[in-house]
Amino acid sequence: MLSLQSLSNPKPSSLYSSSFTPPKTLKPIPPFRPSRNFYPSIHSLLQYNRKPQLAGDTPRVVVITSGKGGVGKTTTTANIGLSLARLGFSIVAIDCDVGLRNLDLLLGLENRVNYTVVEVLNGDCRLDQALVRDKRWSNFELLCISKPRSKLPLGFGGKALVWLVDALKARDEGAPDFILIDCPAGIDAGFITAITPANEAVLVTTPDITSLRDADRVTGLLECDGIRDIKMMVNRVRTDMIKGEDMMSVLDVQEMLGLPLLGVIPEDSEVIRSTNRGYPLVLNKPPALAGLAFEQAAWRLVEQDSMETVMVEEEPKKRGFFSFFGR
Amino acid sequence: MAASIWSVQLHTVSAKAVELRSDYLLDCAFRGKRIVASAKNSKNVSEVVKSEKRSLPLLLQEAFTKLQESVKSLPPATLLVKRYSGVSLAIGISTIVTLLVIMVTSYVAKRSRRNRPPGSVADLVRRGQLRSDRRGISNPLKYDDPFNNPLVKVSKSNSTVEMCGKVYRLAPVTLTKEQQAVHQKRRSRAYQWKRPTLFLREGDSVPPDVDPDTIRWIPANHPFATTASEIDEDLAQTNVYQKHGVPFRIKAEHEALQRKLEALQCEQKLGKLVIDPGAAKDFESPFKTRLKMEEQLDQGPNNRQMGSKFSESESDRDSFVNKHSSEEMEKP
Repeated sequence: MLSLQSLSNPKPSSLYSSSFTPPKTLKPIPPFRPSRNFYPSIHSLLQYNRKPQLAGDTPRVVVITSGKGGVGKTTTTANIGLSLARLGFSIVAIDCDVGLRNLDLLLGLENRVNYTVVEVLNGDCRLDQALVRDKRWSNFELLCISKPRSKLPLGFGGKALVWLVDALKARDEGAPDFILIDCPAGIDAGFITAITPANEAVLVTTPDITSLRDADRVTGLLECDGIRDIKMMVNRVRTDMIKGEDMMSVLDVQEMLGLPLLGVIPEDSEVIRSTNRGYPLVLNKPPALAGLAFEQAAWRLVEQDSMETVMVEEEPKKRGFFSFFGR
Repeated sequence: MAASIWSVQLHTVSAKAVELRSDYLLDCAFRGKRIVASAKNSKNVSEVVKSEKRSLPLLLQEAFTKLQESVKSLPPATLLVKRYSGVSLAIGISTIVTLLVIMVTSYVAKRSRRNRPPGSVADLVRRGQLRSDRRGISNPLKYDDPFNNPLVKVSKSNSTVEMCGKVYRLAPVTLTKEQQAVHQKRRSRAYQWKRPTLFLREGDSVPPDVDPDTIRWIPANHPFATTASEIDEDLAQTNVYQKHGVPFRIKAEHEALQRKLEALQCEQKLGKLVIDPGAAKDFESPFKTRLKMEEQLDQGPNNRQMGSKFSESESDRDSFVNKHSSEEMEKP
């Protein structure tokens, strides 16, 4: 296993030697500056030899929203959250879906949620008791806002979430690097509550007109609320349908919404399998296509970066001399 | 390749051999006919036989020389074998070796799987006690970064990317800052919105000095329907900020219970002073004592006092529980 030591003494990658020009189109790769105090808050195992450079003030409070339901907000929260945890950042994911929470299921933590924010507000438990620590990546914690089928006494709107964020900042073990808020669908009280403490937003959409219309409206509301840093994530993209002109391309979506791209997630059957297993996609071995795309999006989120090129369509693979023997 | 060359060469050799053979046969047949014809024509058979006796060795010699010539014209077979044997031999050996290696590794893997020490975690997984995919911390991947690793490769011209074995064409993003600003303006015109700060249930009256735009009306069946009035806001805030110690409500409940117990004890202090022989065994077998007490109740009038005490305490307990639950109901 790699340890933190590899960060203090990183080996220059052969892929980034002087002869190799880094892929400019996908993402500009910042030069690596080795330093022992480079990431003071990192206290987990390293996944990569390189690490993304954390931009912005911590904790970064990111709301993941869409307007329309079923586009992949919770899946995105789970996968981005665990990707960030694997990159060594401490994460608190808050499931703000009051009546229909699902994030615990996606993470496989459904049996470990005993207390929620409602109990914290009532004084039945402390905040640290309501946080569910993931055993796979201990720097990932889940906080559910309420139990399913229960009513939330959140008459004072998003104030409770602001208190939560403040309390997390003042924790003994230090403030988390990211607070990810999984927003419920719609633009109702749940949405208003979820966006209250957020500084930035990730807008999840699919390349179809129904979710695009909702996404545009939600973006408008977020901008009215003062959240200016909004990036979009286009989910369930099918390159074969784009090629056949049966689906809008990502560039078309961007033209309609006018938002910078955080990531493009291809349609992948592994997403359903991982949901069934309660094991987020990014932990799959070998990594699936959508999992890789989520990892890339998480990297961009850390660096407050956006995509410069997008995958448009699938091309037939060029077959080499030895292709006869392999796939 | 080598095999095909081989087959072509052999084909030519056999073709020549066939040609030679047919020549020889034709020659023989022709000569045979000539013999028959001459036998028919000439009357002196002995002469014919004599002449044939002379010509037969000649014919054989001719055929032999022809054969020799044709054999000479062919490339020697050994040379052919020598020319291509090296390559084919290497391919054959490598194929066999690869197959052998695959077989051996699969056999070794299977054996090692079987020969694991009993009682390992693998056994727990096999028995369904543990889930293999959810054990401990997942292993970190050993690649450089998500943009450049064995699974994600960008072509040298930056026009394609290969992900998980599939090649995708890349297109540059065309969105400019100006376009983003235009979209923002469009949205700000289209969506005029103020974040609601006050949540009211449908049917509630609007408090004075409140902007009606900032009120959110919540239907009664909504999960947010129970509103602020049921939780004290300051108390909730202190609860959220509490870092150590017993949570507020647990503490309050505990204190209330203790107070009630104390009150009860004060009330029953005199009654408790009477030593009850049955109560001493309470810790040992509560079920038995209860039975005993019931028996005593039934048996004698002397023990009625005790029985009434028991029933009293029972009723007390019930009332306490009721009170407690009713208090809980009152509290949100």
